[in-house]
Amino acid sequence: MKDLLTKINNIAAQKFGAQYAEARAQKLYKTALTLKEERVEAAKQGIENGVAIRVLVNGAWGFASVGSFDWAILEGAVSDACRMAKLASERLKTPVKLADTKVVEDQVVSKPEKNPANILMEDKIKNALAINRTSLGFNKKIKSCTVDYFDLTGSSFLVNSEGTNVEQDKLYVWARITASAQNEGVFTFSREEIGSTAGYELFDEQVPEVLGEKVAKLAIEQLTAKSPKGGKFPVVLGPNVVGVFVHEAFGHLAEADLALSGGVLASNLGKKIGSNLVTFYDDGTIPSAFGAFKYDDEGVPSHKTLLIKDGVVTGLMHNRETAQKFKTEPTGNARAEDFRVEPIIRMRCTYMAPRDQKFEELIEDIKAGYYFKSFRGGQANLDGTFQVGIQEGYEIVNGELGTAVRNASISGSTLETLHHINAVGKDFMLDPGRCGKGQTAFVSDGGPHIRLSEVVVGGSA
Amino acid sequence: MEVLEKNIMISLAENAVKAALNKGAQDAEAYVYEGQASNIGIELGQISKINRIIDRGLGIRVAANKAIGFAYTNIVEDPKALESVVVSALSSARAGKPDQDWNGLPGKKPYAATEKTFDQKIANLSSEDLVQLAVTMLDAAGQVDKRVFPIEGAVGAGYIANAIANSNGIAGFDRGTVIECSVATVAKEGNSVTPVCFEFNAARDCRLDPAWVGKEAAKMAFSALKPKSVETKSGKVILTQFALQELLTYTLINAIRADSVQRGQSPFKGKLGEKVASEDLSIYDDGLFAGGLRTGSFDGEGMPHQKTPVIERGILRNFLYDNYSAKKDGKESTGNASRAGYLSTPGIDTTNFHVLPGNKTSEEMLSEVEDGLIVYYLQGAHSSNPVSGEFSVVATPAWKIKHGKISHCSRGIMLAGNVFELLKNISVVGANERQIGQLISPWIQVENVRVIGQ
Repeated sequence: MKDLLTKINNIAAQKFGAQYAEARAQKLYKTALTLKEERVEAAKQGIENGVAIRVLVNGAWGFASVGSFDWAILEGAVSDACRMAKLASERLKTPVKLADTKVVEDQVVSKPEKNPANILMEDKIKNALAINRTSLGFNKKIKSCTVDYFDLTGSSFLVNSEGTNVEQDKLYVWARITASAQNEGVFTFSREEIGSTAGYELFDEQVPEVLGEKVAKLAIEQLTAKSPKGGKFPVVLGPNVVGVFVHEAFGHLAEADLALSGGVLASNLGKKIGSNLVTFYDDGTIPSAFGAFKYDDEGVPSHKTLLIKDGVVTGLMHNRETAQKFKTEPTGNARAEDFRVEPIIRMRCTYMAPRDQKFEELIEDIKAGYYFKSFRGGQANLDGTFQVGIQEGYEIVNGELGTAVRNASISGSTLETLHHINAVGKDFMLDPGRCGKGQTAFVSDGGPHIRLSEVVVGGSA
Repeated sequence: MEVLEKNIMISLAENAVKAALNKGAQDAEAYVYEGQASNIGIELGQISKINRIIDRGLGIRVAANKAIGFAYTNIVEDPKALESVVVSALSSARAGKPDQDWNGLPGKKPYAATEKTFDQKIANLSSEDLVQLAVTMLDAAGQVDKRVFPIEGAVGAGYIANAIANSNGIAGFDRGTVIECSVATVAKEGNSVTPVCFEFNAARDCRLDPAWVGKEAAKMAFSALKPKSVETKSGKVILTQFALQELLTYTLINAIRADSVQRGQSPFKGKLGEKVASEDLSIYDDGLFAGGLRTGSFDGEGMPHQKTPVIERGILRNFLYDNYSAKKDGKESTGNASRAGYLSTPGIDTTNFHVLPGNKTSEEMLSEVEDGLIVYYLQGAHSSNPVSGEFSVVATPAWKIKHGKISHCSRGIMLAGNVFELLKNISVVGANERQIGQLISPWIQVENVRVIGQ
């Protein structure tokens, strides 16, 4: 494969005068399952092979992708990419330049205890059925349960015109369980996701029966929950909500491409934008975490990147292009979902660092507020407006947890909200997730429990 | 790279079906996909990249002892790869457990003709032509105000073809083109940045107005400067198509899918023929809508697309079916099996979800509102409760309407409520329809929406 990819880069450089060329190949094997009410909707397997070619000619990018290793097709694709780059360069005001990075030659082999590619489809089905069955059997009010399972194995190859040559094994195991419950006209819905880059041994920690019951309980509990009041309240957020808050409300703003696109962080580098308790990382080096890897899709080693320290913005997430613009080092955040698309700046494992308080200490001073334990979804805007929908939440009344609330959400401006963090717990948890930015990326988000002195709670009561 | 010919795509599908039957499948269905697309990328206000993507593949679904297996490959030139994909699908099926509700694949039905889904002019466009469209769009955006920046955007043109064959004799081929341009803008003044504003055009034939797109996106960002707060109360809200698409996708559309109904995940269960919305609301799922972004002659299982009444004058008329869910209810498929190319098995989705227009222009709608909001974009709609329809979202941004005129922009406003209540509180359906994704709709005005100000 190395020779084939090198040949592509040589054509770009020698025939079309490309300043930089990069050929990325993948040979991936996927299996997937969807179960609904103990019915296997379809057991799926797939093969995806292909090559992505990216070239920089006269300061502009050209990109071509083909699902083939056939030389005639690849030769056509690299010529296309170079011609397109040349065309794009004609109106360029600011040519693209890349930050220097070390030339890497490496082979990264994954060593799963249980390789998902070697687990029989029968066993994967059995496992998913156990989750499905436990959830449905938990309570008569559970009306439906869907289990989606997915694994990916294979290799990716990256060769660039600077001499970098990386072969990396890819391995992901992921499952999502959703359940719905109904009682007396009330409909509720719950969701749980698990994922790992270690191997199928994920299910030794995440026991199917425990998972199934957990999701069912969440849906049942919401049946008797009430709607929260809308308005400003003090809240305590659990690690799962803190994770999505860090990811959505801050993480996207700290992606250097979005910061350059007018995001609020570009003008705040080195400035204090949050309370002293705020320290955030984006870390691609956590072993077996969903979203961790050794090299990104530009061949840059994955870093542990400090984004905010004690409330001060210290860094952004970069690819080679944005690192050059900010005169800094690339951080290993350039990721491509597959061969069809180009690498863009993506998060890896994004989290808030824990401090020293106990959960009880966080809630004890709150007279009337909420505890939001897990989220349903979140979204952010470049102006720093965020929204996080809550799946599991409780009232806090006079320092104690009260009745469950359903369909709450929190929203606000990131730059204001980070100043409102006035207590941070000593616990820590990381949850796997998937992030959409035109492409899907596997990530983890997390942190400790935290307290916000105030945030807008969206509720219908 | 030349596109695959019709007869080659159909025979790829037919051969895979034959191979699966030979190897012992009871039912077999093969789907072949080809997509070729060119895309001009705009970053930081300039054209900085051009992409070309060619994607082909075949997916095969088989039943063995009423258990379903599926496999796909993106290597279609190699007979060995095609043979192994058939073997994979069968081994997956045999690993599964029988589904007693499986009643086979659909049979052959005639297809209706579609209009305005393919335009040779789009297929013939060069990268140079697309660059020219991008330049026109950027120039128009740049001329509105110097505080406005086009931050990113794209101009793309694509050709998509698909072929399907199954063991009941279905053999279909369809092809189409699409062209689109889009731009996202922000406006900056001092330390204040507006939310991202966005506009786009998408069409199946070569009718595109990049200058309009650039100008509108820029005007929107400009008018989002200088925000003021609004008070917390319940009131009139006009939802534009962007906001409606966000809100309805995760709630109403989920509720009318037959599988949601069958699984107890829809509040519409048992409500056919009942009033579920304001009399002003009529919605059709129309897979044959001329020039619609989801128009095609057949669905992901080779069933003909059709026009299905979903809500007529507020009365719930039909759910959307694929073959499996239809057989379970003793009904006919409504042609709503949808696929993500060759990578997935079919699932129920809308085709073109058409909210019938009323007769008020946007100017008339605005002028008749004494006190209210108009909401263009929503944030967080995907965190709505898909089963109950409860939502709690941020309007980024919204504009206050006072005495029939837009008075100012406001940021960070939350809207909360229940989509199914909201449908009953629709008071005006506009005449200004346009398509965004699967939704073809005009503006809709709703009464009594809970608005939480900052």
